[in-house]
Amino acid sequence: MNFDLSEEQRMLADAVGKLFEAQAEDANVDSHKLWNGYLELGLLGLPFAEEQGGFGGGQEEIMLVMEAYGRTLGTAPYLQSVLMAGRLLALVDGGTASDALSGLLDGSQKYALCLFEPDTRYRWHEPGTKAERSDAGWTLSGEKRAVLNAETDTHLICPATTPEGFGLFLIPPGASGLSLRERPTPDGRIAADIVLDGVEIAEAAAIGDPANNGALVAKIVDGAILACCSEAIGAMEKLLALTVEYLGTRNQFGAPIGSFQVLQHRAADMLIALEQTRSMTIHAISMMDAPPTQRHVAVAAAKALTNRASRFVGSQAIQLHGGMGLASEYPAGRYFQRLTVLENMFGDSNHHLTEMEKGGGLAAAL
Amino acid sequence: MELTFTEGERRFRAEVREYLLSNISENIRQSVYEERPLPREWQVESQQILNRAGYAVPHWPVEWGGRDWSAVKRTILVQEIDQNSVPRPLPFNAALVGPVVAAFGTEEQKRRFLAPVANLDMWFCQGFSEPNAGSDLASLKTSAVREGAHYQVNGQKIWTTAAHKADWIFCLVRTAQCERKQQGISFLLIDLATPGITIRPIPTIDGFHHVNEVYFDDVRVPAENLVGEEGRGWDYAKYLLGQERTSLGNIGFSQRRLDRVRALAKARRGEAGPLIDDPDFRRRLSWAEIELKALEITQMRVVASAGNPAGGADPKTSILKIKGSEILQDAAELLLDTLGPEALTAGFADSLASDDSQGLDAHSSVLSAYFTSRKYSIFGGSNEIQRNILAKAVLGLGSKR
Repeated sequence: MNFDLSEEQRMLADAVGKLFEAQAEDANVDSHKLWNGYLELGLLGLPFAEEQGGFGGGQEEIMLVMEAYGRTLGTAPYLQSVLMAGRLLALVDGGTASDALSGLLDGSQKYALCLFEPDTRYRWHEPGTKAERSDAGWTLSGEKRAVLNAETDTHLICPATTPEGFGLFLIPPGASGLSLRERPTPDGRIAADIVLDGVEIAEAAAIGDPANNGALVAKIVDGAILACCSEAIGAMEKLLALTVEYLGTRNQFGAPIGSFQVLQHRAADMLIALEQTRSMTIHAISMMDAPPTQRHVAVAAAKALTNRASRFVGSQAIQLHGGMGLASEYPAGRYFQRLTVLENMFGDSNHHLTEMEKGGGLAAAL
Repeated sequence: MELTFTEGERRFRAEVREYLLSNISENIRQSVYEERPLPREWQVESQQILNRAGYAVPHWPVEWGGRDWSAVKRTILVQEIDQNSVPRPLPFNAALVGPVVAAFGTEEQKRRFLAPVANLDMWFCQGFSEPNAGSDLASLKTSAVREGAHYQVNGQKIWTTAAHKADWIFCLVRTAQCERKQQGISFLLIDLATPGITIRPIPTIDGFHHVNEVYFDDVRVPAENLVGEEGRGWDYAKYLLGQERTSLGNIGFSQRRLDRVRALAKARRGEAGPLIDDPDFRRRLSWAEIELKALEITQMRVVASAGNPAGGADPKTSILKIKGSEILQDAAELLLDTLGPEALTAGFADSLASDDSQGLDAHSSVLSAYFTSRKYSIFGGSNEIQRNILAKAVLGLGSKR
């Protein structure tokens, strides 16, 4: 075992950190400029095999990118477009999917995977959205919920139930019958509720194999969950640093409040929660190539612990900042908002503990 | 990064397990699994078997029996020892007095002590704490006054584990009154057969007799038993803190307890159906499993890192101490809760019983294990002291002024 970064990984982490920090400080940045920065640094191709036009990065490299993303409260649709939709397109392969991946890799198109639906919480496995055959190809009807980064110019990948099983469909922006209701999330991003009202798409827009798509999406989702864990680790790291800095500079009763033991111990507990989360995420990353049940149990365990730590570190950071923690113009609150969004994504602790237990628990899986 | 064990590390784990299972007797392992007190001769027998394979003191210098294995391998070793219910090498010998003598002792002391200490032919106990020197250890008062070729020792040590089984005690004693209380402390080895030493048991809430008070009344100790320089004892004690970190998380021990919880909970009824399927019980077990797996990686991160360049202790070891004790305590609570009313009536350890297992059977050891587990967040620097260390040494939070 060895937890030190390789030379290449150190260079990647440095470069990504510099880019994200510059972007976070750039008052005039827009979504195009933001994405272009990712393209120029090679981040759009990072997780893809070289023969697919990528750079062959693995979950460890994604961890480095997402920790930096979390530290700087990134807003670009990297998780959605590259790590979810992109990696799914790469796994599915085939003509339409390959073309779509090319559009993603050259920065001209953004993608989003629409997983969740009304009243099914985090269970995406049996979509209520239906796809039926039509003269032209397929007709899709149903609703999707809280699709992060889905905007009017985003290409959507929609899971839908077909007579053959778990279908995956590419829907171009502006398709007739498609409507998006975009809402701001508390952490400065966009999520959309989507209605598919008899959306007509071509035969070739159905990608993958309905018998196998569910397993592929499961793998993508597990990877995305770990990306969220890494993002939360980056956000917690920065939030703890902000908090410690505040404790050292804020004076009350004639002393820096960081000299009070009860606050010191709270900060120590935040550090412990962060480091345990980092360790559990490292473990789950090492399990990404294990058989699906073992992989999923490890990922679910990592997300459950990340969620608990995120809520503890986030809420206690606000507490230790006092009134300043509640002020929007001070950064601590923004990190708490991001951590809260991440906690919700792909499932709360209850969901992931249930998943872990269904898989036989950590002990049985290892 | 290499986030999984290498082929060599896996092979090492398999070798260790094979050796332990085929050499340590079933009686001993069953007793450890059920957390009954271990007869002295079993502890000795087990350590000698470990020592034959280089498993007792692998972290010592090679010329004194060490093995030059990586910290990751040594961590695997201690996890296998714990998980397979093998008694650990006596920590006072292997982790405490041995490394100090090896690092600061004279050649004569090394020749005299190290081999018997490794083989448990000589059993040491630790004389650090005193009634008014617990977390504030440097306040210790037991005095050693040089008189020619001897030190005259007077004072009292407390919480001395297994003093009643030990042959020797290593002590921090005050040899000079200095301005800073950390100065003037010396590290002295004392034969417990010396006249003037009285050992009194302290029965504890777990029903066991494992700790004692040790009184020194004009005890004459040969000056040649001083380790290192007079007055440098505090430095040597601090040196120990930076030493073997491979077992701090108690990973294998907690794993063994949780395995036992799982086995018992599968066999027993809960409020409705098997206890293991009770949602609340299951959830507590799941959290313990998660925290333990995370701590196993934290443990590996601490030992695999190049370490603190300054050479002292990695302050992150405090995380191992805090979390490791909390998980052990959670596991003990789960263990107790699996038994229901039977936990009370199966009997409770009798610290005055003359038999080696102090009247314990397999069930009642669960109750004793529960009580005894409170000690893990207290000894070796309480969890509150550990949080002070994290706040100051890692986070840089200051004191008043």
